[in-house]
Amino acid sequence: MVYNGCGQTGSGRINQACEVVLSELKCDFVGLALQNTDGPDVKWHYAAGNINEKFKRITVRYGKGIAGKVISTGRAMSVENFPENISGKALEYPIMLAEGLKFAYAVPIHFKGIPKGVLLIGSRTGQSINENQKSFVREAARRLEQKLNG
Amino acid sequence: METQPVKKNISSYIIQSQEDEIKRIALELHEGVGQTLYSLYTGMEFIESAVEQQEMKGYVADMAQMLERTIQEIRLLAVELHPPTLGTLGLLPAMKSYLKLYTSTYGIVIDLHNQGIEAAISERESITLFRVCQEALANIARFADTMSASITFQWKPNQLSINIKDQGKGFDVSEAMKKSTGIAAMIERMCLINGECKITSKISEGTSIDITLPLY
Repeated sequence: MVYNGCGQTGSGRINQACEVVLSELKCDFVGLALQNTDGPDVKWHYAAGNINEKFKRITVRYGKGIAGKVISTGRAMSVENFPENISGKALEYPIMLAEGLKFAYAVPIHFKGIPKGVLLIGSRTGQSINENQKSFVREAARRLEQKLNG
Repeated sequence: METQPVKKNISSYIIQSQEDEIKRIALELHEGVGQTLYSLYTGMEFIESAVEQQEMKGYVADMAQMLERTIQEIRLLAVELHPPTLGTLGLLPAMKSYLKLYTSTYGIVIDLHNQGIEAAISERESITLFRVCQEALANIARFADTMSASITFQWKPNQLSINIKDQGKGFDVSEAMKKSTGIAAMIERMCLINGECKITSKISEGTSIDITLPLY
C-alpha cells in the first residue's frame, strides 16, 4: 500500500494541514498517525504544536493506544481528563504522556475505504471541544484522506 | 499482632505467587493458545489454496491474515507478561530487549551502560530486578517529562548495582512515598531479595534510583 501524501511535497502539504487545524481550533496539539505499509503497527508521522520529538519514535500496535484503537475500530474516540477515569492504564496512552495532553479527540482516516490513519487533536489544559469543532476535525480528516489518496 | 518476619513472608508469598501466575499465563498463551491458533492458521492456508471460487478465496485469505495478526498479538502479550529471555539469556539481554520496546512505545531513549561481567543470579532475583527497573522506567514515561534517561549495570564480585537516572521534572520523594504504591513496591520487592532501592530526586533536576543486590 502506498500513501501518496508521504513524499517530500506531500509531506509539506500534510504538515501544513495539521498547522491549519491547530490554528483553526486553537488547540495545543495536532498529530497524524498512519499504519505502516509493511505491517499492522501504527506510527505518528506528522505533528503540529508538539513540545518535543518523542512522537517520531512512538509506534503502537494495531488495536493499542489511541491511534491503534481508532484504526482497529474505524471509529472516533475521545479521552477526557486524562489520566483520570480512563479505560486501562495511563501507560497505554503513549501520545498523551509524551505530549502532556489531558484531552484528545481522534478520528479515523480512510485509505481506499479502510481505516489506515488517525487525526488527533489534543489539549494540555483539559479543554474539550464542542460538536461543531468535532465536525471540523472530521472534515479536516476527509481533506487529509484526499491528500493521502490523491 | 503480626511480627515483621511474618509480614515479610506474606509479602514475599504474595509477590512470588503473582509472578508465578503471570509466568504460567504467559507460557499458556505462548505454548497453548498460540500453538492452537498456528494450527488453525496453517489449516486456513491449506483451505485457501484448495478453494477455487475467487470470492471465497479472498475471504479465507482475510481470515488467515486476521489469525496471523492474532498469533503475533498473543506472542507479544506473552513476552510482555514474562520475558522468556530472563530465564534463558539473563537479566541484561532481557533488559536490552525491553528497552527497545520501551523507546518505540514512549519515544524516550534509554542509554544502557554495562560495567563488569554479568554474573549468574537466581530467576527470582532477576525477575525482581527486572520488575523494579520496569517500574522505574514506567515512572519516567508517566511523570519525568524527559526525552532520554540512562541505566547503568555495574557487576562487582560481591554486588550488582543498577542506577537509573533521568534529568526530568523530579519530585518530592517523601511526598511521593505517601501517595505512590509503585515506589513503595519497588523498595519492598528489593527488600525481599535482600537488596536495596534508594531514590533521590530534586525538582527540575531529575531523579536517580540506585538498586543494589548482594552477590554471593
